[in-house]
Amino acid sequence: FQKHEFFVDMTCEGCSNAVTRVLHRLGGESFDIDLPNKKVCIDSEHSVDTLLETLKKTGKNASYLGEKSTQ
Amino acid sequence: NLKMAAKSIVIDVEGMTCNSCVQTIEQHVGQMNGVHNIKVSLEDKNAVIIYDSKLQTPATLQEAIYDMGFDATLADSNP
Repeated sequence: FQKHEFFVDMTCEGCSNAVTRVLHRLGGESFDIDLPNKKVCIDSEHSVDTLLETLKKTGKNASYLGEKSTQ
Repeated sequence: NLKMAAKSIVIDVEGMTCNSCVQTIEQHVGQMNGVHNIKVSLEDKNAVIIYDSKLQTPATLQEAIYDMGFDATLADSNP
């Protein structure tokens, strides 16, 4: 499985909780949030565009970093 | 009639933990069409919004905050 890695400008628990909520609402997402490094890894059937759009809904800066293969 | 239909509402917001959350909401909602002023309080866990009722409704404002990943509920149900 390929995981998509995104940068999201999160600064606190509240920010990462907000990201968690919008991703949950998208449905069926499996993801890890790395708050110190401001990274979100998502394993999803949705397209990168959809995921990025969802992340941007939080109002934070977000960008696509690339695919990350799981060993 | 140039007089604007300005209204004010209070929306309770759960899930904000720092000033960054506050600023994000203020910036995002503040740039919405018809929003004149927004003041978000971390202590009171709410947002006070002054808006043009021709362009926005309490429901659309609440939804905007909800969409950002926060629990938003309308505080007072004025008629």
